[in-house]
Parts: sequence; C-alpha cells; structure tokens
Amino acid sequence: MKGMKKLAAAVAVGAIAGLSGTVFAADSSEPIKIPIKNWSSQIVMAHVIGGIFESMGDKVEYVPVDNQASFEAVRVGDITIVHEVWQSTMQNAYYNAMEKGGLIDAGTHAAETLEEMGVPNWVIEKGLCPGLPKWEALKDCAEAFATPDSGGKGRWLEGPQSWHGDVMPNRVKGLGLDDKWVVKFAGAADALWAELQAAEKEGRGTIIFNWSPNFTDASGFTFIEFPPYFDGCRIADGGSWETTGCGSPKGWLKKGAFWKFPKTHPNAYRAFSQLTFTTPQIGSMAALVDVDKMTHADAAKKWLADNEEIWKPWTVSVLGEGN
Amino acid sequence: MSSAGGTSEGTQAVIRCESVYKIFGKNSEALLDGASSSIDAETAKAAGCIVGVNNASFEVHQGELLIIMGLSGSGKSTLLRCITRLTDATAGQIFIDGEDILTMNEKELIEVRRNKMGMVFQNFGLLPHKTVLENIAFPLQVKGNNTKASMERARDMAELVGLQGRENYFPRELSGGQQQRVGIARSLAVEPDIWFLDEPFSALDPLIRKEMQDEFLRLQSVLNKTILFVTHDFDEALRLADRIAIMKDGVIEQLDTPANIVLNPATEYVRKFTEEVPREKVLRIESIMEPVNQSETMADLTVSKDAVIETVAKAILDESKPVGVVDEAGTLVGSLHASHVVDVLFGNRAGS
Amino acid sequence: MSLTSSSLSIKSKPVQFALLLVVFLILCYAIAPADGNYLWRLPALLKDIPTWVNDFVGGLMFDWFPIQVYDPDIDDYESKPLFREITRAVSSGVLFIIDFVRELLLGGQKTIVAFTSWDFISENPWAEWPALPWTVITGWAAIVGYKLQGKRLALIAALATTYVAIFGQWEPSMQTLSFILVAAPVSVLLGLLLGIWAYQNRYVEIALNPLLNVAQTMPHYSYLVPVIVLFGVGDHAAALATIIFATPPMVRLTLLGLKNVPVEVLEAGMMNGCTNRQLLLRVLIPTAKRDVLIGVNQVVMQCLAMTVIASFIGAQGLGSNLMIALNSLKIGTGIEIGVCIVLIAVVLDKMSLAWANKQTDYFADLSFLERHSTLIAMLAVFVAGSILAAIGSFIFEEGFNYLYVIPHNKGITTAPIWQAAVDWIWDTFFFVLKGFNEFLITKILVPMRDAYLAMPVVATFLLVMGIAYILDGLRSALIVGGFLLFIAFSEYWDRALITAYMASFAVIVSAALGITIGSLCARHEVASKSILLVCDFFQTFPAFIYLIPVIMLFGITDTSVIIAAVVYATVPATRYTVEGLRSVPPVLQDAGSMSGVTRLQRWVSIELPLAFPHIMLGVNQTVIFALFMVIIGAFIGTIDLGQMILKAISESRGTGIGLTLGLCVAFIGLAVDQIIRNWAQRRKAALGLA
Repeated sequence: MKGMKKLAAAVAVGAIAGLSGTVFAADSSEPIKIPIKNWSSQIVMAHVIGGIFESMGDKVEYVPVDNQASFEAVRVGDITIVHEVWQSTMQNAYYNAMEKGGLIDAGTHAAETLEEMGVPNWVIEKGLCPGLPKWEALKDCAEAFATPDSGGKGRWLEGPQSWHGDVMPNRVKGLGLDDKWVVKFAGAADALWAELQAAEKEGRGTIIFNWSPNFTDASGFTFIEFPPYFDGCRIADGGSWETTGCGSPKGWLKKGAFWKFPKTHPNAYRAFSQLTFTTPQIGSMAALVDVDKMTHADAAKKWLADNEEIWKPWTVSVLGEGN
Repeated sequence: MSSAGGTSEGTQAVIRCESVYKIFGKNSEALLDGASSSIDAETAKAAGCIVGVNNASFEVHQGELLIIMGLSGSGKSTLLRCITRLTDATAGQIFIDGEDILTMNEKELIEVRRNKMGMVFQNFGLLPHKTVLENIAFPLQVKGNNTKASMERARDMAELVGLQGRENYFPRELSGGQQQRVGIARSLAVEPDIWFLDEPFSALDPLIRKEMQDEFLRLQSVLNKTILFVTHDFDEALRLADRIAIMKDGVIEQLDTPANIVLNPATEYVRKFTEEVPREKVLRIESIMEPVNQSETMADLTVSKDAVIETVAKAILDESKPVGVVDEAGTLVGSLHASHVVDVLFGNRAGS
Repeated sequence: MSLTSSSLSIKSKPVQFALLLVVFLILCYAIAPADGNYLWRLPALLKDIPTWVNDFVGGLMFDWFPIQVYDPDIDDYESKPLFREITRAVSSGVLFIIDFVRELLLGGQKTIVAFTSWDFISENPWAEWPALPWTVITGWAAIVGYKLQGKRLALIAALATTYVAIFGQWEPSMQTLSFILVAAPVSVLLGLLLGIWAYQNRYVEIALNPLLNVAQTMPHYSYLVPVIVLFGVGDHAAALATIIFATPPMVRLTLLGLKNVPVEVLEAGMMNGCTNRQLLLRVLIPTAKRDVLIGVNQVVMQCLAMTVIASFIGAQGLGSNLMIALNSLKIGTGIEIGVCIVLIAVVLDKMSLAWANKQTDYFADLSFLERHSTLIAMLAVFVAGSILAAIGSFIFEEGFNYLYVIPHNKGITTAPIWQAAVDWIWDTFFFVLKGFNEFLITKILVPMRDAYLAMPVVATFLLVMGIAYILDGLRSALIVGGFLLFIAFSEYWDRALITAYMASFAVIVSAALGITIGSLCARHEVASKSILLVCDFFQTFPAFIYLIPVIMLFGITDTSVIIAAVVYATVPATRYTVEGLRSVPPVLQDAGSMSGVTRLQRWVSIELPLAFPHIMLGVNQTVIFALFMVIIGAFIGTIDLGQMILKAISESRGTGIGLTLGLCVAFIGLAVDQIIRNWAQRRKAALGLA
C-alpha cells in the first residue's frame, strides 16, 4: 500500500537522522518552535514538551497555527515539531507533507486513540436508542435522531469533510443504514461541541463524531461498537461495500519533525523521539484545563512537576549518552 | 479674420503668440497639416476634433492689460493655459520675453514659472491644508527660499491685499472674496513680470466683484504688471482693459481698445455684445470729440480727453456752448457739443 | 393613452423582466437534467486550473533557479530555489519588524537576537528587553487620545486599555496590537504608493482595477494556503495575508482623493513652479488628505477584521486565544476576547478618524510647543509607571506583578456572566425558535435550494445576463456572463449554486431588515448615531463567536449559516440606508411637508426614491458581506464552495484549489457588483445626486 511505503521511508529517514544524532554535538541555541493548535490536550502537551526541552537548556517558542496548515509549516521549518498527529483525522495531511519532503517521522506515542461515532451517555440513559452501544441498535431508532433538514432520517454528525472524506457516508451505506440515516458534515470541532450541548439541553438524540481523550470524556461519552476494523476494509483502501461498514481502527498518535531538527538540536530531538505519552497521561493533561480550569501553561507546569519520574528519563538518558 | 489691432508699438512684446492652435482629439495632427489659416468648424467636426484655440496671433506689451473675453467654450481659458503651458498648444509659437515657451524643457519651464509668472484662478486654487500665510508663501518655499524670509514676504503681501489679521486662517474659514485676495497675494508673492488671471472674480457675488475690481485696479496702478486677464463678463472687460480680445469658437473675432470695439464692432457677434453696453460708461471724451471750430465761442468749461463720458455728461449738457477738450498738458485738442453727446448716448451709431 | 402604451411597450422594464421570466421558466422545464447535456451543465473544461496553479506555484517555490547555499546547522550545502529565498527574505523582514514592535510593548529577546545571535542570549542571560508596564501604555493611550481629540477620546482609550489589562487579555491584546501596528502602516504605505501610481498612469489604473475587485471580494481564507506556501507560517505570514486584505480600500481611496483634487489647485501648484515631486508631496497628497485618511481608517478596520483568520496561519494574540476558547466551548471567554478586539478596533478607529479630522490646530507656532508638552507628559507617565511596576515587584512577591504585565488569564474574568447570558438566551428562546427553524428549513430553505440546483445552466445564464442587460446594457451582460462562465466551466457549479442560494436568501432578509431599521432610525439624530454604533460593533466583533450560540439555537443547519450571514450582512444595508436617507436634501423634505404628505407618504414618495441608489450600493455591500459569511459558514457545516475552500487547506493541491474556489466566490460577488454599482451610479446621476 502506498501509505505503508511512505511510512517505511519516513521511518528509515527518521532512523538515519536518529543515528546522526548520536554523534556528540550540542543543541543550537535557536528556539525550537512548537505549534499551538486549538484543542486542550495538544496545547498542554505543547507546553509539557516545551518544558522538557527547557529543562535540557533549549529555548522554545510557541506558534499558534491551524491544525491542517501545521503540516505544510513543519515541512518547511516554520515550526519544528508536530507532537500530536491523530491517525484518522490527520494522516492525509501528514503523509502529504512527508511525500513533498521536509517532514520526518519522529515516532509514535504509546497512546492509542479512539475516534469514532458515539453518543453522550445520557442518550443511552434516556433509552433513546435501546441496544447501544452495539451498532445494530441504530437500525430501529433513527427517528429519535432526525433533524429538520435530514428529511425524516436520523442524522450522523460527522466532522469536517477534510478529516476523513467519504468514510462515514460509505459506512452508513455499507451497513445498510442509508435508508434510515444520513451523514451531515460539521464545519469544525466547536460545531460538534455546540451540537452536543444543544442536544443535551433539548433532550433529543444526537450522534456525533468524537474522540478520546477529549474534554467531553468528563461528562460521559460512549462510542458505538461497529464491525471491527481491518486493513483494507474501507472502499478507499480497496474494500467492498460489504466490508466498508467497519469501524475506526485503534489509531496511532504520531510525532513528526522538521528534517533539520535532528541536526540542529540532536539532544532535544533524541528526547522528542523517545518521548511517549499514554492515553491516561494525555487525559490527565487535558483534564487540568478542561476540568480544573487551569491555563494551559500552568497545567503543563503542574503536570511536569507531578510526573518527573515519567519524563526525566527521556532527558537523562540523552545527556548520559552525550556525556 | 481680424486678429490684430493696432496699438502702441515700440516696446518689445512681453507675450507674443503666432498662429497658436489647440485641437482636442486624435486626428489633430492630420487636421493641422491641411490648414494654412483658421480651421473651419465643419472640417474639425468631420475629423472628430474640437478646436479649442484656432490660429491665435497677438502680442501683449510691457505694462499692458489685455483681456480675453468670450463666453464659455469660446477657448479663452484654453488660450491662457496654452500660454502658461498648463496645456501644450498643438501648433504655433508662443514667446515670453522673446523665448519660445513651447520648446522649453521641464526645468526651464519651472524656472520661468517660478520667476516670471503669477496666476490667479477662478475658484482660487488654494491649498486647503495651509493657512493664508502658508498659501501665500508657498511659491517662495517651493523655490527653496528660507522660511523666515518667505513668511515675512507673505505677511507683506497679505497686508497689500488687505488680509492683515487673518494670516493664520484656513481657506475654508474665509469668504470667497477673501480667498481670492489670498490667491492674488500668492500670485504676486514672487514679484512676477507677467500676471495671468483666469476669471478671477467670476465666482464672487456682484458687490464683492465690484470691490475686487477696484482693488485690482489699485494694485495694477501700483505694480504696473503685464497682464493677461480672462473673463466672460464684457462689462468687466470694458472697465479694466487696455485692449480686449473677443473670442468665439476658438477664434479671436476682434482685438482692440474698448472704445473701438464699442464704436466699431468688427463682426456681427461682437456687435451683439456692444448693443447693451451703456456707452457713457465706456467711452472717453477723446473718442467722440469733434475738431475745434474756431468760429464758435467755447464755454468756460473744459473737460479732459481721458474722462469717461458718464462722469462729465451732466456738466456738458448744462452748457449751451461747445465745451473744450484738453489733454494732460491743458492744450485744447477738441470740442464737444451737448447735442453731439446726446446723439452718442441715445441716437444713431455715432463717433465715426 | 400614452401612459398605457408606454407601459406595455417592449421598452418598459417591467415588460422586459416579465418576458425574461417567461423564457427562463420555459428553459427550466424544457431542458432535461442529464449528465451529458451541455444545456443542463457545462463540461468542466477548467477543472485542471487548480493543478496548473499548483504546479506553477510549486515549481516557482521549490524548483526554479536553485542556488546552492551552505547551511552551518547541518554542515552541508542545500539547494535553495531563488524565488523562495526572496519570499523568505520578505518574511524575515516583516517578522523582524513585528517582533521589534511587539518587544517594545511586551519585552523579549528577538530584537537583540537579530543584531547578535541566540548564542549571545545563551551566554548573556541579562540580555532581555523589558516590557512596558501596562500602566504606561494605558497612560500613553489616554495622552494620544487627548492630543488627537480631547477628553472624551482620552477616556475611551484609557478605559479600553484598562479593560484589556484587568481582564487578563493584556498579552494577547498587545500581540494583536503589535501585529496591527505593522500590518496597517505597511498597507497604508503600499496603498498610497499604488494609488499614486494608478493616478499618474492610466494603464496602471486599468490593470489594478480588476485586481482590487478580486482582492476585495475573494474570501480571505481561500488565499491562506498560497500565503503559507509563499511565506510560511507565523506572524509574518499572517501580516502579509492581512496586508493583501487591507490594502485595496487604501488604494481606492487614495486614487479617489487624488482624482478629487480640484484641477485649479493642481494648476496653481504648477504655476507656482512646483517640480513633479513637490507637486505630489506638497500639493496633491495634502489636498487629498481627507480621503487618504479615511483610507487609513478602513485599513485599521480591515486589519482587525482579519485577527481571527490570521491566527490560522500563525498570528499570535487574541485571534488564536479566541479559537482555543471556542473549541472547548468556552463561549464566555470567547465573548470577553471578542470585546477586547472590538475595544481595540474602537480606539484605533476613533484615533485614526480624529487624526483625519484634525486640521484645525495646524498652527506652525504652537505645534512645536504642543508636541513638547505631549512628550513631557508621556515621559512622566513612563517614569511613574516604571516606579509603580518597581513597587509592584515588592508587593507581589509571590506570583505575578500586577503592576507590570498582567499575565494571560490571570485577570478578573466576566466569562461566567457572558456564559450565563448565553444560557439564558438559550433557555428562553430555544423552544420558540425550534418551530420556526423547522418551518424555515422544511418549507423554505430546502425547496429553495432544490430550486436553485434544478436550474439548467443555460437558464441561469439567461436570467442573470438578462437582468444585467435590462438594468445596465449589453456590456454589463457580457461581463457578468464572463464571470459566470468561469464558474460554469470549473467543477464547482453545483457548489456555487448552493452558495448562491444561501447568500441570496441572506441578502433578501438582510436588505429588508437593514432598510427597515435604517428607515426607522434615520429620522432621529440620536437613533441614527446609535444604530451606526451598533453597525460598527457587528462589523468588528468576530463572527466566530456568535456562530456558536447560533449553532446551539438552530443546530448545524443552513439556518445557522444564514442567520450568521444576516447578522453580518445587515450592517451595510442599515448603514447605507441611514446615510442615504439623511442625505436627502432638506429642501425636498420641506417641499414634501408643505404639500401635506403623511410621514409614510413622504418616506415612500420622496425619501426612498431619492435615497434608493445609495441604498442599493448598501445592498451591493450586503451581497459581498453575505457571501463572505456564507463562506465562513463552512465552519458550521455546509456543502458549498466554502466547505471546499476549508478542505483545500489539507489537500496537496491546496494552493490551486483554494485560489480557484476563491475566484469562483469573487466572481459571484463581482457579477452582482457589476450590475448594481453601474445601475446605482447612473440612477444617482439621473437624480442629480452624483
């Protein structure tokens, strides 16, 4: 598969770059540019990673940037790293940038991401669709999810079309739900959250695309269990209408870097490529902001202070090797 | 066409125009090639051109006040703009103090304008962002004169035109008449030899206009500039001019002294203007006096040959005997019967 | 009767319109909606344009004229294409200036780095430029306000800066401000130069005109991708995108101002012996000052309107904070930030306008002294503020020095209040609006969209070109046809029809609303002024903020998009109606009153006809505003051109697709503009109002 080839090539480049990093060299004093996107876990993680770099004596700078634009930016070096690349929503942009050249793979977090259609817990509690979270339940409860513009069918609220193209419409068709359900694309993540809140106040059913870890976890969100994913099940990957009803894979959460980063900041790069967060860790970072209402920078400080045993080894091992 | 008038020879012409044309339109060159004298309207129209100035030739002498008179669209302002080279004449030659202004380059032209020319505009053309003083000083500062000297000169000029006390006003804070005084002061600030006035009083209301004309005459009596003055107001022309050029459709119909124009209109067009003119206000005694008849007994009263008829008419009419006409030296040069004055004022075309 | 015969003749406009409609309907019924039928949909002959554009830009940026440059970081030679090096040089130049201004306000190291190196900073930890205490900047804002206009502006400036400071938005606000303080002057200078050039050279004017038209009607985020490709990501890229957006009105107003300089003033300058330079600098530009300064004001407004969009490509400050707040549904915080943007807009707007109107105290003798006194006052404030900040460092030993720079999100917050207000609106109105929303969608919007999509392409052309022909003649019809042809040959015709359906519905509602509100307010001085203030507010308040409550009330539906568009697009309709009605000559009002008309009669038979051409210019603006907002509606969730533009950002052919889609939107706007503007101008001339 084309995607796999690209992945392999990128890993190879990353490995070579990593090797060259073992050559003894000090980090450049120029700041490492870390992107600030518009969701909590990403921003806190940006500050956490920035804090780690700073603890190693590097300078950092935070650059606000649109998520989709960040991949073009990292490719040409306007930002140095991307640290939270979600498979299902960002792999297109990620591999596009890699193919054009300039972006290297800097490893994968331990966290497995879950991005899937789901419902807030109260939808289940209210019994609006008995049988959830099994997808088969959707066959009989479409009316409860209808909206004025859905023509009487139930509405699936998918994220912007730029996230997965036609995956969701194909899935609806593949599962044979298309006579009862219709897919609507929201324009941005905040539109999804607004819908979530509005639906709750109104007490009507809603089914939206969502992911975890996310700030919505706090109020309870249940993902629907679709037929299991396997490579090539989707139409776009060569699958058939019979298989395209598959759910989302357990996604990877990747890191990427500008290709010069290993050469300009070998130590920081080593730390960055070793650095890995688990789902609960990312969740705890986001919760400091979303639940405890801290600022992103304060949350990062607190997280770093509370979790030294987790992140110190990444830096120490680098310094140890270097010295 | 009569485009020359006989007048004071001898002094060198300050402004001399020879066969000046200004033609608007794409085919102007082609149109000119065929023309040896004036272009007629039909030909111009056929060529898709508008003739602004049509074969104008004349001279203005040192200290003379020439007025170009015509209705709107007659080409009078265009002619003035050709002479100042605000627009380029299509053909012909224009000499200022013997130098051909049409062949001057940018730099020479700027020099001439900076030192020899002053111009007053119908709508004043004041710089809205500058005060009275700054406006007047503007031409001096443009020349690069130092600020203090320029401002002092400007203050003098403001005083000359009666604007003392308003030096720090902005144009929009002044009445029309006051604004034009600023315009006049500015045009005179560099002490130009030649003074161009383009309908300077037309935008003013009648009372102010009269006042400004008096002011103008007063200034001219002090300064004695060579003046080219454009107006559409025939009364104004008669009142101020040494000579008048009457234009129609770009052609100078007649160029002569006010009296000669009134008494001997060269064309039907000119005659129409003169019809309504109150002669007693225009004509001077000299133009209607008769030779002295030695056999007649003269009245005791004598009048100056330069007096305007209106000013002495009553005295003459009161006399039963002919009145003597004298020149500046007091020498008797002619006589005038009361009956003749009545003829001139109310009767047939007289005087010739 | 001559009256009847004339109204039935083919020359009468109603008859022409009726005929047009009949033919249009016949075409709609006659043409079958089939794929291969070119009368139904034209083939996508231009579908390769995005690829061409992309290949061209890509080639220029990454392949053309490579130079081998040694990079010490990687100890190797790297091939750098010439054009990219040029754009990068521009970028770093702009970035340097922004950082410089920013560090004047907030302190930092980058300016020092620009003259030394990062290594220098590492070795010399003291080398950091200090920030200006917020008290100093507040004081300065008040002094400048006082100097420009008086106590009122001083008070507004002081209150606005204090608000920004105590509500914890100081840093992002200063970041935004520093960005504007660079983008705005550059736009002004660029606009001035282009305007002068166009004034001096007719060909330049002719060439510039369509470019300005497109730049003013193209949705801003359609050129975000090209800007990223050309200039990268960061404040510099955002500034450049802003400059592209903010310069056109400056060019137009400069040109307008210069053209309006009375011929005689120009001639007077020439006769005074000005050289060309003197003529330009000392006569033309000062005389055109008022228009030029209105241009400056426009530039400031446009820059602020870009703050949110600019954060997509790296602008630091309020815009990016706003997006972060909205993304976790913190509407209260969002509103608070939005208010900051409005406040900065209000202060800069008032200051630039005061500057524009400030002509009276041009007294050569006084100005030196006055400037002196201002300087002294500012110096005094600086010293006092610094001392306060120093004292503060003792008082607030732990944490933050609130007398120096109030850190982000450490101030008081009104967010809960705003949040409560939004909740209240929701609780109060939701169920009332729900029924309305359902009715609107099922009975009006969906049928309307289906009707637009059911139009054969030939019928659409006939209708639009026919209207242009009837109102404005053959030339307009052909120009409008040309615009449509581009869209029809692209692969986005159906998407464009959906954009057109939403925009036209929004325009109808906005125009009706705006004209009604404007007419009601125009009668009273106070009401007029108040409504114009409201207009200012909605023009600068970031639309992204009210998108959220609107979504909560109306769901992710076309209704939400249209309502957001209506909120924004009613502004020009209202503004122009007020202006138009208030400029009806009082003589005519009196004449009407003396003929004994009622208020309504006077409005219908005197005021409205006279103000109508001006109002139509407002409607013209309404069309452009509605289009912009419908495109922004992509963030709610649409399936029109806007959604495609949004999607283009993540695509590999993004540059070309973005620009092509942007052109499609611009051409819809320009087609309408062509018809209305010319018609209004002729109508104004006919009424003797031009």
